[in-house]
Amino acid sequence: MVLAMHLYRRLMRRSRVFWLVLLASVPGLIIAVAGIDAGDLDEAIVGIMLSVGFTYAIAALILTVSTLRDERDAGTLPYIYMRPMSRLSIAISSILAGVMAAATIAVGGWLATVLAGLAHGADMSVLLPGGAMLLAAGVGYASVFVPVGYLFSRSVLVGLGYLILVELALSGLVSGLAQLSIWRIAGSIYVDLLGEKGADIPDELLTVAPGVGGGLAKLAVVLVLGTSVLTWALRRRDAL
Amino acid sequence: MTDTVEVRELSKWFGPKVAVSEVTIGFGPGVTGLLGPNGAGKTTLMRVIAGLQVPSQGSVSVLGRDPRQDPNVYRDLTLVPEDEAVYEHLTGRQFVELAAKLAGVDDPKGRAQEVLETVELTGAAERSLGGYSKGMRQRAKVASALVPNPQILLLDEPLNGADPVQRAQLIKLFKELGAAGRTVVVSSHVLHEVERMADRVIAMVDGRLAAVGSVATIRAAMTDKPRLIFVDSPDPRTLATRLIETGDVIGVHIDGEQLTIEASDAREVALRLPGLAVECGVAISRIEPADESLESVFRYLVEGR
Repeated sequence: MVLAMHLYRRLMRRSRVFWLVLLASVPGLIIAVAGIDAGDLDEAIVGIMLSVGFTYAIAALILTVSTLRDERDAGTLPYIYMRPMSRLSIAISSILAGVMAAATIAVGGWLATVLAGLAHGADMSVLLPGGAMLLAAGVGYASVFVPVGYLFSRSVLVGLGYLILVELALSGLVSGLAQLSIWRIAGSIYVDLLGEKGADIPDELLTVAPGVGGGLAKLAVVLVLGTSVLTWALRRRDAL
Repeated sequence: MTDTVEVRELSKWFGPKVAVSEVTIGFGPGVTGLLGPNGAGKTTLMRVIAGLQVPSQGSVSVLGRDPRQDPNVYRDLTLVPEDEAVYEHLTGRQFVELAAKLAGVDDPKGRAQEVLETVELTGAAERSLGGYSKGMRQRAKVASALVPNPQILLLDEPLNGADPVQRAQLIKLFKELGAAGRTVVVSSHVLHEVERMADRVIAMVDGRLAAVGSVATIRAAMTDKPRLIFVDSPDPRTLATRLIETGDVIGVHIDGEQLTIEASDAREVALRLPGLAVECGVAISRIEPADESLESVFRYLVEGR
């Protein structure tokens, strides 16, 4: 936990957090300024969260790839690496730090959405599940992007490649690829939590079926895979 | 004495660039100086020993363990990296306490205080590392490395940026650690300082070992290199003539009252010089070997390749 807290504090530089929370708040800002009819409000909020809310994925990428990349680039990794801790412990602590950082940004972005939604008179039953979606996405993205940050010097570009190619471009074209989209896995949790209000939304999820249980199970798999890859990299690859 | 660090047939390359080539060497208790020009492979060798880089070929054993496989070796092995890297947002004390917590020491605060006192940094311990001078950062890094009370310390250019007083303090500390039976490996390009602290010197050139031993041993091993002796005398010509007659010298050069002697066995010539001067009735005011410093040894090693 000491290592996770150290990495988390290092990630939470004020200027970086401000801009990334702002990026994650884009859906809230759009809801705030959009002229939405009261009758379409719930559907509009859910639609904006599932589409424009993707800005959170970019914010989570920028933040979480830095978890170990900052240490490598700054030359401070030996202070972490050369400790009597198993490489698995370092991997778990690093991903935990990434999850906590992503969750912090998620809370910021979600609060912006809640405030904007409440200003329009939206129901909390629509707004609350949005927070769960962002938190779930944060777990998934940290699991993927913390190892990417350790492995690749141009990790933001690699991460953007995944977001743009897999999550945006190819998921709609190649059947089954949507199952690899963390955004849609998190979205499946969101839509399930919405209950009846999410009944008309599943188009956004492509082939991913709504379901909290299924979504959490997939995220658990992503988390285990990410931790395994990072542990392997810490054991087998040069740390500097 | 038994080696605590054993490097066998070690090579490390990055793509086409060979940083370390077929190095076999052991490090034992005491201070060992690791010397070489930039790009000689010193930092890479230290990083591989520290487990930060994977050997491309060969193996490293630290206290009988592979640092890549057994993280517990870091209870006994620490590295002060060459980079000026520290956590600038932390104070000196926080930095050292973090190291203590991550190392799992019993009393992190108490241990941090001890090592800060050891490197004489308690006065600045509450200041942010971002505001430290280069020399203070070096001392903070050394303090962090001392936290687990390691048996083996790898110090990559630890004197960089330290002022003369700080250098003297650090050199004293490293010598004390070496004398206490720790294995201390210090890389430096400040050769006379290595000479002051190291019991043993390892010179690297182009990723290979160029020489191993004490300064004098290394120098003596280079029998093909003539050694110079400077002699000040009011009558250098008479002395030079007598020296040539003995056949012990390779050549002589006279510049005013200074006689420069080239000899294959400079020590023997230096010992005989006072007697020869008495024989000739010539006064001598100075006898000084010109090239016994590490600078010259190192220059020979580099240029000789």
